[in-house]
Amino acid sequence: MDLMVTLGPHLLNGLALGLLFALVALGFMLIIGVMEVINLAHGSLFALGAYVAVALVTPEGGLRLAALGPYFATPIPMRFVVALLVAPIVVAGVGMGLEVCLRRTYGRDPLYGLLLTFGAALVIEELIRLVWGPTERFLPVPPSISGGISLGGLIYSVYRFFASAFAVGMIVLLWLFLQRTRYGALIKAGAHDSEMVRALGINLKRLRLLVFAFGTALAAVAGIVMAPIWGVRPHVGVDAVVPAFVVIVLGGVGSFWGAVIAGLLVGMVVGLTGAFATAWSLVSMYILLIVVVTVRGRGLLGKKSVLEK
Amino acid sequence: MKSGISRRTLLVNGALVGGATFFGPWRHHHVYAQKRDKPILIGLTHDASGQFANSGQDEQRGTIMAIEEANARGGVLGRKLTYITADTETTPATGSRVAERMITRNEVAFLVGAIQSGVANAIGQVAQKYGCVYFNTNSSSPTESGKDCKRVKFVWDGSGANFALAAADNAVRTFGKRWMLLTNDYVWGHNTSKATREIATKFGAQITDEILVPVGTRDFSPILLKVQQAKPDVVAAAVGGDDFKVMRQEVVKLGLDQKPAWLNNQQDWPDIYGLGIESVFGVFGTTWYHKLPLPGVPELVKRYQARWPDTRIDVPGNVFYNGYMAMGELVRAIERAGSTNNIKVIKALEGHKMSAKDRMQHHDAWIDPETHHVQQTVYLAARNEKPADKTDYFRIMSWSEPDKVRDADSVKTCKLAPYDSTPTYEQ
Repeated sequence: MDLMVTLGPHLLNGLALGLLFALVALGFMLIIGVMEVINLAHGSLFALGAYVAVALVTPEGGLRLAALGPYFATPIPMRFVVALLVAPIVVAGVGMGLEVCLRRTYGRDPLYGLLLTFGAALVIEELIRLVWGPTERFLPVPPSISGGISLGGLIYSVYRFFASAFAVGMIVLLWLFLQRTRYGALIKAGAHDSEMVRALGINLKRLRLLVFAFGTALAAVAGIVMAPIWGVRPHVGVDAVVPAFVVIVLGGVGSFWGAVIAGLLVGMVVGLTGAFATAWSLVSMYILLIVVVTVRGRGLLGKKSVLEK
Repeated sequence: MKSGISRRTLLVNGALVGGATFFGPWRHHHVYAQKRDKPILIGLTHDASGQFANSGQDEQRGTIMAIEEANARGGVLGRKLTYITADTETTPATGSRVAERMITRNEVAFLVGAIQSGVANAIGQVAQKYGCVYFNTNSSSPTESGKDCKRVKFVWDGSGANFALAAADNAVRTFGKRWMLLTNDYVWGHNTSKATREIATKFGAQITDEILVPVGTRDFSPILLKVQQAKPDVVAAAVGGDDFKVMRQEVVKLGLDQKPAWLNNQQDWPDIYGLGIESVFGVFGTTWYHKLPLPGVPELVKRYQARWPDTRIDVPGNVFYNGYMAMGELVRAIERAGSTNNIKVIKALEGHKMSAKDRMQHHDAWIDPETHHVQQTVYLAARNEKPADKTDYFRIMSWSEPDKVRDADSVKTCKLAPYDSTPTYEQ
């Protein structure tokens, strides 16, 4: 009983953390799965999403939008929702530009795509620094989802519950989109056999552009949702891209449910080590990755992927 | 009468004597001709990226402003000051590389700048090898003026031990004896927590647990749950940089800033400014505040705002202050020494007293000749519930005389290299 009292809160916390890791990895998974491109700019696009949200939520958000007085007179919940809708569109636009640059690397050694997106990550991070400066920014959240809630004598973050629920919603919506819509079917088909999709008369170029835009928009959504937890600073993307990569490889490249399960596993391991062996909390996800990949090279639910070429 | 010495012999011997004067025969000592018309080149070793990029750029604003003000007064010893900068990336290996390059290739006369203690220690080692006087402006690990002290290195910020000494006694009496330590897993965190443990237990505290926080931690929820489960009276946190920002955000959001009591060692201004007064939590130390009611403070704030109108940090804080004061004292030390000779400058600094008026602090300060640590007023502060304006984040609760918070341990552990084993130079 004592063990459960001690362990219970950390299991709950690990579960919430796992859902957030899964959310961070979703866009990354989509782009790797369909386009076989390891988008190292995912983290920078994650950061860009957070910064655009800051500009849309706070008058001193750095983009001189303060002139939009009436807009900033609206309540924070309204602006937060606007940020959740608009920032992903802005970042998707940047993602589309990046995809156009990537086209010359398709069908070549994956290293070319890797290098290009790595360069893009550096450029985006520096642009963020130029526009918003190097200092920390703060994304206010609506009062209804901020603060703490007492459960069993312990205070939990209300926002963290919101973020976890949001992550569940995003996972379900993405799954429904992939399973139940024509575009979802095309995306899956593109991931399975892109040449056949092209042979069937599908505009593969447009499909890839849309998938990339969708994946980067998901990165932005994750950036906004994580901003109140991880903070907003130019290099925050590094904090996102590394766990996202771990989650994808652990789950199996291209596997939707693999990514979700891996996210939960990573969250649980990081959460528990964070409580009981804190010095190991950051390295624990890598140890988990090593163990799983040693036993099962393609990750938990993976099939043959770009990483094996 | 014909002389026994031919012109050729005279020239050869002259060259030998000149060469010996210039290059040796000493093992270390290279004596360079003083170039009086040449500007004095300062190497600024500030972080521009990594965990402490923000603070690094803030202290750089301080050092540059002090250099510009010195030049506006005509320079020092009739020479202008110039500077070069390089990003030390909050990484000790980069700090070493930058210091080595600045000393050997750029031939800087002095090195100034540090936030992260690992970087400061790395630069200090290189500086000692060449005898280059180095000012650690903002790194506050007690080891910097303790076991890692150097003859050439001078430490300008208050140390973790100074802040713990200022706070511990009062915190034990006010909040309670059950203490928990949160320790950032690097040099400053370990040494600050070690000092806090020793000092707090001396005043009757019991350390119930110590949690190591890895550098780069972005999720403090497991740690904060554990803190709640342990129910300590006081959490003494030695967590810095981005890790501290993330932790603070989480603590304030949960309302855990009220109970337990938090002792946050030192709160660097660039890490808090812009996040709103409500982000400030716990009791913490600082060496300076822009609202201190002392002569010179408002003028410095105005000069800062005129020089740096575009920075997001609207008013100077402790990190800027340390950079600014350190650079200013370097200029004055060169003037007192009458030379840029490193040993003369070191001697001009050791034991040097600085008036409270000049320092814009409440008490006189001095440079400890045994540790090269600036002994200065240490302020304890908390969130300001009645701010005068949007920059007025802190409520200064008390200030301690330098003598009262002097770190006796660093005196025991610091072993400065003798003068004669420190290479001499003059640029």
